[in-house]
Amino acid sequence: MTAILTNPLRVGLRQERVISPQCIVIFGASGDLTHRKLIPALFELFRQRRLPSEFAVLGCARRPWSDEEFRDKMGAAMAEEIASHRTAWEQFAQGLFYEPVDLQQPDHLVRLGQRLEGIDRLRATRGNRTFYLSVSPEFYGSGCRALAGAGLLADPERSRVVIEKPFGRDYASAQALNKVVQACAKESQVFRIDHYLGKETVQNILVLRFANTIFEPIWNRNYISSVQITAAETVGVEERAGYYESSGALRDMVQNHLTQILALTAMEAPGRFDPEAIRNEKAKVLQSARLANEEEAWKCCVRGQYAAGGSLTKPLPGYRQEPGVNANSTTETYVAMKVAINNWRWQGVPFYLRTGKRLPKRLSEVVLTFREAPVHLFDAAGGAPTPNQLILRIQPDEGAEFKFEVKAPGSGMRSRPVDMAFSYDESFGEPSDEGYVRLLADAMLGDPTLFTRSDEVEAAWRLYTPLLALIEESPWQLPVHPYEARTWGPAAADGLLADDGLIWRRP
Amino acid sequence: MAPQLTLQAPLDLPPEEVHPYLQRLWTQDLEGSIGAATFTLVVWEPSWLEQQMVRIGRVDGPITGLLRKELLEAARHALPDTDLPLSTAPMDPRLAWAIGQKDGDHRVQDLRGQFVESAISAHMPRRLITLAPTLDPGHPLETLVAAYCPLPEEGGAGAACGDVVVLRGGMGALQQSLDLFQTLVDDTLPCWVWWNSSLDEPSEMLEALAPVPRRLVIDSSLGEPRRCLDLMLARISSGQAVNDLNWLRLRTWRESLAMVFDPPSRRDALGHVVQLDIDVEGDHPVKGLLLAAWIADRLGWHLVTSYAVEVDGPGPGITAEFERTDGVAVQFTLMPVPMGVPKTHPGAIVGMRLICEPVSRPPLCVILCSESGGCMRLESGGMASMELAEGVVPLPEESEEMEMARLLSGGHDSTSPLLAAAVPLAVTLLPG
Repeated sequence: MTAILTNPLRVGLRQERVISPQCIVIFGASGDLTHRKLIPALFELFRQRRLPSEFAVLGCARRPWSDEEFRDKMGAAMAEEIASHRTAWEQFAQGLFYEPVDLQQPDHLVRLGQRLEGIDRLRATRGNRTFYLSVSPEFYGSGCRALAGAGLLADPERSRVVIEKPFGRDYASAQALNKVVQACAKESQVFRIDHYLGKETVQNILVLRFANTIFEPIWNRNYISSVQITAAETVGVEERAGYYESSGALRDMVQNHLTQILALTAMEAPGRFDPEAIRNEKAKVLQSARLANEEEAWKCCVRGQYAAGGSLTKPLPGYRQEPGVNANSTTETYVAMKVAINNWRWQGVPFYLRTGKRLPKRLSEVVLTFREAPVHLFDAAGGAPTPNQLILRIQPDEGAEFKFEVKAPGSGMRSRPVDMAFSYDESFGEPSDEGYVRLLADAMLGDPTLFTRSDEVEAAWRLYTPLLALIEESPWQLPVHPYEARTWGPAAADGLLADDGLIWRRP
Repeated sequence: MAPQLTLQAPLDLPPEEVHPYLQRLWTQDLEGSIGAATFTLVVWEPSWLEQQMVRIGRVDGPITGLLRKELLEAARHALPDTDLPLSTAPMDPRLAWAIGQKDGDHRVQDLRGQFVESAISAHMPRRLITLAPTLDPGHPLETLVAAYCPLPEEGGAGAACGDVVVLRGGMGALQQSLDLFQTLVDDTLPCWVWWNSSLDEPSEMLEALAPVPRRLVIDSSLGEPRRCLDLMLARISSGQAVNDLNWLRLRTWRESLAMVFDPPSRRDALGHVVQLDIDVEGDHPVKGLLLAAWIADRLGWHLVTSYAVEVDGPGPGITAEFERTDGVAVQFTLMPVPMGVPKTHPGAIVGMRLICEPVSRPPLCVILCSESGGCMRLESGGMASMELAEGVVPLPEESEEMEMARLLSGGHDSTSPLLAAAVPLAVTLLPG
């Protein structure tokens, strides 16, 4: 008996949109992101036959590599992945090119334009270009100016620019950067990427809410008592100390990833499945969101920093002991906060957000806790009935879970909570694409649905402005509480919920 | 989205003035507009049913070329007045022909080619060319030209414009306009040719409109089954990108069946199929054969034999035997069943049944039924000991134009590999 590993009836069933002839230009091609995420994602699209034959990748960075060196380096970085797809890689690699470019040098931009024209002729890419700025954030503005100055963004139908996070450091810098970018290109050409939005389960929040009739009537303040959004990592700062020291968890995770999940969870139903309709609703809900106490922001936020921990056999260093980290660093590696949304749907429902490094589990989830039954008719196994909870598991073990009370077997009428679970693995059994696969394809297709619009970015920064100001101006009011590595963060974070008679869900 | 008329009333020009006018349009009248560098869409739009129904006064005008609900309703009502079986689908070309034998001489405005479905215009065709043959074979050639710009409320602000050309006349006049037609197709842009009619029509026009590498869109439910399948096979073999709307309408069946086997716990059963039954409406087997061929191809079955069987139904049935990769036989039957209210196109699927006998597990019987009817025949008998997976397959709600828009959004420049694999098998499955 031969086991069938994949569903043969599923193959080729989705009619995928086909990307137009295209050259994707990656600035910062010698960087980590290119060989860890971007080239693997493009190779995956190639293997799924979703790239047209008229396709090219032009890597650009300051290093004086040749096309061949670039191909070799990408191949070496992906050796494990391409071992079983050697022929496909060889075909794909024929479309990889490299051009040494310093975006600050006008003559380099002229040379880049000529190189692109050459690639258009060689690969028939018809002048369709996606410029991916995988460079240090301080070069986003000047990079856009350089591209616009060289006329490379002039055609709004054929040229697009993808900008990595972080988009700004605060509200003012995000506004300033938006002004620069919008002076160089139309908003429809700009794709601000947040790879969390590429995750299947994040997109599933929209489907779960708006493709089913049972959830929407209860998705509001009348039935939901609180919402928790968690993104927990087990890893420490790793090799990103340089960047992380100046950003911290608030800028690195909350302003973008967690805020996007918040927006998808809390937004109103769009009139249609259309990029602008969806982004309008996201922007609107973010504009209604406030810290639970803006005047005394320290009362609705807790910052933490991981200290040494782990076990005797596997000790883990504290954040301040990590290479590249200031020994007196006050950068937060953990942040928990309470947010309110001042609209008819959510008035009075607290949204608790938390994220941290070196926590016990790697997971991202949204937990919607429903109001308790008004009268407790039955004895509950746990003393009091557990409120119903809908848990949307974003990663790992992607799926959803609903907790509700049932009658415990036996005489008497005791209730106890049980789970009703849906797992992507059990239902579909197919691994979903990495976020960058989806997002790169969408950018090349010109579909901005899963990208962040300028007003969303600004609304997200504005939400956290009181906290950022506090950290900047009076950091003692928002101290960094140490927490032992591989624990669920500082005890003060529990206090944030205890005031409301709640506790964090322990997944 | 409602279809809409071109913004500008099309100008009726002599054929020799079409090119100069288009040139003037883009250099003077639309100066500053961007001409979309997208694709040309050519539509062969005889709309015989609509023309005949309007002629005998069963439907009000104008003639639009769109499959309106009123038209389909009226066609269903007109069916009993013909000698055709009651299970004949409204789009069956035999119905238009039978209505053509009736008296009537109502004349209305002919607006074919002048309605642009919003879903299609959203893809900004650079040029939309409609060839609209008239019932009167001696009708002289009329050439109508207009510019088209998407409206701002369609998200068209700043979007590129295109133009619309309609060639209308009797078959002779249209044959004579082919030289003009060829010069209207920009060879530097992709060109889609939608043969929106029966494949039984004389092939010369199709040959002229859709040579390789133009992308062909047909509907294999319209025309004699053997001819439909052979034409598809020949076109695909020649390297042409072929899209079949009949195949696209199978999407919900293919998706529903794939969904049954998505849970990994069921996957193994797919390697142990022993029987496949498909019921189709009326006497047009192509859709059912394409569905069977797709399943056989995906599961690696090899066709051993196929023959027609006489059954008590609107047409002959088909029985076949496949061989699985492990050598075990799979029995296949395709049964035509009469329907009180047939669907729009001939040969719609009524139901399907797949029986699997995995080793050391109870047999699995999958039954999928069309939303619009039961499938009692497939549900009857012998399944008590089996694990039963039943499902209802929703009817596709999209119009032909929406299907077309979906194709355009895909931008596919080659035949779907699944269709390309299914067609040769369907050709051999069709007996005789």
